[in-house]
Amino acid sequence: MEIMEILNGIFREVFDDGGLIIKRETTADDIDDWDSLSHLNLVIAVEMKFGVKFALGELQSLKNVGDMADLIDRKLKKK
Amino acid sequence: MSSVTTDGQHNIGYLCTRGQCEAGRSDRVALRFITPSLERHDYTFADLDGLTNRFANALATLGFGKGDMFFTFLPKAVPQFVAFLGALKLEVVAGTLFSNFGEEAILDRLGDASAKGVITKKSFVKKIAAVRDRMPALRWIIVIDSDRHLADDILSYDRLMAESSHEFTVPRTSPDTPAILHYTSGSTGKPKGVLHVHRAVLSHTATAAGVLGLRQNDVYWCTADQGWVTGTSYGIVGPWNLGVTQIQFAGSYNPESWFRILDEERVNVWYTAPTALRMLMREEPDFYSRFSLPSLRTIFSVGEPLNPEVIAWIRRTFSRDIFDTWFQTETGAIMIANRPGQEIRPGAMGKPVDGIEAAIVSDEGDPVADTVTGNLCVRAGWPSMFVTYLNNPEVYAGKFKNGWYYSGDKAYRDPDGYFWFVGRSDDVINTAGHLISPFEIESTLLEIEEVAEAGVVGVPDEILFEKVVAFVALHRKYGYSQELELKIRLYVTHKLSSVATPHDVVFVEDIPKNKSGKIMRRVLKARYLGTDAGDISTLEV
Repeated sequence: MEIMEILNGIFREVFDDGGLIIKRETTADDIDDWDSLSHLNLVIAVEMKFGVKFALGELQSLKNVGDMADLIDRKLKKK
Repeated sequence: MSSVTTDGQHNIGYLCTRGQCEAGRSDRVALRFITPSLERHDYTFADLDGLTNRFANALATLGFGKGDMFFTFLPKAVPQFVAFLGALKLEVVAGTLFSNFGEEAILDRLGDASAKGVITKKSFVKKIAAVRDRMPALRWIIVIDSDRHLADDILSYDRLMAESSHEFTVPRTSPDTPAILHYTSGSTGKPKGVLHVHRAVLSHTATAAGVLGLRQNDVYWCTADQGWVTGTSYGIVGPWNLGVTQIQFAGSYNPESWFRILDEERVNVWYTAPTALRMLMREEPDFYSRFSLPSLRTIFSVGEPLNPEVIAWIRRTFSRDIFDTWFQTETGAIMIANRPGQEIRPGAMGKPVDGIEAAIVSDEGDPVADTVTGNLCVRAGWPSMFVTYLNNPEVYAGKFKNGWYYSGDKAYRDPDGYFWFVGRSDDVINTAGHLISPFEIESTLLEIEEVAEAGVVGVPDEILFEKVVAFVALHRKYGYSQELELKIRLYVTHKLSSVATPHDVVFVEDIPKNKSGKIMRRVLKARYLGTDAGDISTLEV
């Protein structure tokens, strides 16, 4: 399954919205409930589902979902 | 500075719109709404008057009248301001909900208030629908992002507005008329509905001028969400009753956007929160050298005590002072503040504002000596004092003794009259300026199948002031897993809100309780912090 497809499932679970469709350019401004605290839920869910760990600095530099997908991809390739 | 309270007319909706037009400010920009991509949309006071008239007429057509309850449940959006003031024009009580509330939080508020209507967006209707059968009084849902009605009782804002007249005669509203409703959390029980009357506009306006120092022709930005009291008292009412242009930014926290707005919009007065400032402190100093902030006169802060480090950083980085203010949902307006012209004592709350008598009072209702810690109280009777906790008159009465309102905060006063915050007298958690009830979170955690017991505390956090930490004990047949931790976090987020979601979930064998079964949060907090729990003689073992 593509990373974006898995991420979409995670976003739907975290934001409790079965109809949510994310794109690479999606940002926190596009999802009403995506604030710094729900972001923590998102990070935990992503780490758990992909089996990766993020460092704090890595997350601060992410501008959109595409950046997150690319970071996950890089981490998976290093495994 | 001329404020408008004409001929005994206290209607907040009128004063913030029509009243400004009649004072000659029709063409002045009232609302500068800035999108996440920094597009600017301006609305003059005349625009705001016409839009709020339309909304008042729309509500009247739907059968709303004086004393009915109407809520906004929206992220930052222009209709939020229109609906709030439009409802007030009709003498409907305007309540506001934080847009991240989950279904239980919505039920606790709309249900308790017997709300007759709510304005929201399509994606939020699902949360309301999940609990709607337990809110029989709720007749109308208005959505702002549909050009057609979605059902007989789920109506399009655009269509209602298009079909309503832009003319409306606001009734002469007495100062005692119920106006604004916010819900606040206590350490026990459900959230309580804090009701204010139209008279509150006097305090909002006086403090917006006298503390925030707002002047005609100012551009002012209050970053608070309209779901909370700061967002209505100082993000709607006070500034607009002074004819001031307000910035409202629809984007999320973003240092680049925030500082471009402060710079390019030439903001004169900025009112924000310590958590935001502490997050901004993490940016590289070079970041700020790009912004000259040519018009910024003063910065104010509210929500949590302002640490001396933030004051020093602001002085160092911006060559300006920052002034801390203190108030609560119940007080409706600023009661104690630091302000220009008064020496700042870093870490102090400041001094009482004009017309406010504050004191440190014993549990018995008697003022105590300077430097002695006690209950922070305000002499009852100021214009924006709450008039009741909805459906809870006994608890309301319990907040007063010997003519003093007991704020629930512990503080002391120094010999020069400055007040210093010490802590809460209850277990309410203040995280990023949001007051959170540990009881609500514990109750929600107990709804999760695997959870047998739960205890929730607030512990100090360098960014959030306090963070929510949940201790959970599982039923014997369940064990810890990462999936369960995520399930617990998401359950609280979806039922209550993201701000109530524990930062840390600590799995324990059991929750310490005293002999009467009360959760000993003090012990949990000490356990988390690795400190001495003090007297544990009442601990049930």
